[in-house]
Amino acid sequence: MRRSLTLYGLTFSLPLLIWQLLFFVFPLVFLVALSFWTVKNFRMQPDIDAVNWVTMYGRPLFWQAYGITFAMSAAAAALVSALAFPCSYAIAFKLSETGRRWAVFLMVIPFFTSYLVRVYSWQIFLSDAGIINVMLGWVGLGPYGLLNTVGATMIGYLTLTFPLVVLLQLFSLAFIDRTLIEAAHNLRCGRLRTVFAVIIPSARVGLVIAALFAFILSFGDFVSPIYLGGGDPTTLSILITDTTKSGQQWPRAAVIALTMIGTLMAVAFAAVRFAYKGRTK
Amino acid sequence: MKNDTLVSFEGVVKRFGEFVAVQRMDFEIGKGEFLAIMGSSGCGKTTTLRMLAGLEAPSEGVIRLSGKPINDLPTWSRDTPMVWQSLALFPFLNVIENVEFALKMRGVGKAERRRKAEQWLDRMQITEFASRNISQLSGGQRQRVALARSLVVEPEILLLDEPLSALDAALKVRMQSVLKNLQRETGITFVYVTHSQSEAFSMADRVVIMSRGKIEQIGTPKEIYRTPRTRFVAGFLGSSNMFTGKVSGSDGGVVTLDTPAGALRLSAAGMPQPVAAGQTATLTVLDTKTDLAVTPPSGRVNTLPVRMIGEEFIGATATIYLETADGQEIRIQKSHEDLANLPLQIGQELVAHWSYEDGHLVMEE
Repeated sequence: MRRSLTLYGLTFSLPLLIWQLLFFVFPLVFLVALSFWTVKNFRMQPDIDAVNWVTMYGRPLFWQAYGITFAMSAAAAALVSALAFPCSYAIAFKLSETGRRWAVFLMVIPFFTSYLVRVYSWQIFLSDAGIINVMLGWVGLGPYGLLNTVGATMIGYLTLTFPLVVLLQLFSLAFIDRTLIEAAHNLRCGRLRTVFAVIIPSARVGLVIAALFAFILSFGDFVSPIYLGGGDPTTLSILITDTTKSGQQWPRAAVIALTMIGTLMAVAFAAVRFAYKGRTK
Repeated sequence: MKNDTLVSFEGVVKRFGEFVAVQRMDFEIGKGEFLAIMGSSGCGKTTTLRMLAGLEAPSEGVIRLSGKPINDLPTWSRDTPMVWQSLALFPFLNVIENVEFALKMRGVGKAERRRKAEQWLDRMQITEFASRNISQLSGGQRQRVALARSLVVEPEILLLDEPLSALDAALKVRMQSVLKNLQRETGITFVYVTHSQSEAFSMADRVVIMSRGKIEQIGTPKEIYRTPRTRFVAGFLGSSNMFTGKVSGSDGGVVTLDTPAGALRLSAAGMPQPVAAGQTATLTVLDTKTDLAVTPPSGRVNTLPVRMIGEEFIGATATIYLETADGQEIRIQKSHEDLANLPLQIGQELVAHWSYEDGHLVMEE
C-alpha cells in the first residue's frame, strides 16, 4: 500500500533527509567526481580522466596496504568477538538483574573518554620506558619493544571496539528464549554443547552484526595504526594522509577512500546475508 | 514399592526462598500410566513436573525413577524429555533437524538419525514438512514436531506442560485423541500438567489435583468426579452442590447434617473415616444427581424448598439455577426430557431432592 506524504510526517523526516543529502550523498558524489580530476603543478583541475584509478590500482604498495588493512580488521573482528563472547555470555546468563545493569553501565563508561585519549594512555603502558616494561624490569625481564607493533595496533582496535561488541552481543543474548536452553538440556545437550548448538545459532544475527561493526570501525581507523602501530605497516587510512601530503594528490586519495567505501559495503552486505541465511522472517 | 512403579515422590518439598511451592508430596506413577496433574495457576503443578525433569532440584525428599534416586542427576543426564507449553522448538533448525536433535546429542550416526526421525515424522503425519522452517508451520503441526522431537529417543516417560493451551478449541480436541492414542500405542508413561479439567479427565488414567502446593486428591477421573474428597476438589470441579453444616447424629448407617438450608441425611457406608456428632462437614451431591419436582416426592429423605432464578441451555442439557430458603445458590443439570413436565419460570417455587446414596460427606480439615 502506498501512503501519501503528509505535512506532519515531512516535518520530522525532512531535516534528516536534508542532512543525509548534504553531508553524505553530496560529498560522496563529489568524491567520485574528484577521483577523476587531475593534478598539474600541485594544482587540482576538474577533469574526466581515469589516470588516478589506473595509477593507484597499478601500485603494489596500494594492494599491500589494502591486504594488510583487510586482514588486520578481519582479525580484530574475530578476536574481539571471541574475547567479548564469554564476557557478554556471563553478563546475560550468570548475573542478577542488578548486576546486569551495572555491567551495561560499565560498558558504556569507556565512551565517556575520547578514543584518542585512550590510545595515548596505551602509549604510557606500552612504550620502552612504559609501565609494562618497568614492571617486567623488576623481575629482570625486558625491555621489550611493545609500541609500534602490529600487536599494539590490535590493542588499539580492541580498545575501540570491545565495549560496543559486548553491548551488541549482550542484547542479542538477552533476547534468547530461556526455554530453548532448558529444552536443549532436557534433550541431553550438555552445558558447553548448548552454547554452540543453541545459544550461538539463536544469537547469530546479533553476533554477526557485532563482528561487522568491529570490522567497519577497525578498517577505517587511523588513530591506532599511527599512534600505537607507528605507521608501519601502512594501512589504507595512513595511505590516504600520505597521498594528500605528497603533492596535493587529493584525487588519488579519493580513489583509496572510494575503494574503502566499496569494500565496507560489500562486506556489510555479505555479513547481513550470512546472518539471516536460512531465515524466512 | 510396587514392581510396576516408574516414578515415586517421597516427601518432596520445594521452596523458592520463603515461598513454599510444593508441600511434602508423596505419590507414585505407574509404568505406562497416563497421569494428569491438575490445578489452577500457582498450585505447584509445573514445579512438580520440572523437578521430575531435573530443571528444579527438590528442597527436601527423594524422587526416584525406576527405583533409583535422581535428585542429583542434572537434566541432561536423565531420560525425561518434556514438551513445553511454548513447545520450545529450535527456530534455527528445520523440522527434521529439530526431531534429530536429541539423537545427535546421544551420538547416533547420521544415517540412523535420519531414519528414526523420518519414522517419527511419518508417525506424526508431518513427513511433507520435513525441510520446512518452524515459522512456516501451523500450531497443530508444531505440536506434532514437538512430540516427535521428544519421543524420537523412545523414552520410558514423557512430560507435558500444558502443551495444548495455545491451540483453538477444535484442534485441542483433535490433539487430545492424538495424544491418548499415542500413549496407548507406545505404552510410554505420560505425565500431563494442565489447568483444564476436560483435558485431564478425558485423557488421564489417574488425576492428581493440587492446590497451593498440596495434593488434594489422587484418583481415577470417575472416582474424583463422583466422590470429591475435599471441599476444594468439589468446588474446583464445580459439578457438585455443596451444603456445609454440623453433624448432628450418626446412627443406623445414616448421618444427619444440620445445615442452614435444613437437616440433610446421607449414607454412612463407604465413608473414609467414622464421623462424630459436632464435627463440621460438607455434603456434596452432583448437580446431575440432583432432581427437581413441584411437590416433595414421597420416599425421599433429602428435600429442599427452592426458587428458580435462572436457566441456561447448552446442547442436549439444561442447567437450572435455584436459590434455597437461606439464599444459597444451587443448580441442577438435566436433559430436556427430564425437565419437560416442570413449570420452569423464573421465581417459580420448586423442590430439589436427591437420593441419600448420592450424597457424599467431606470433612473439614
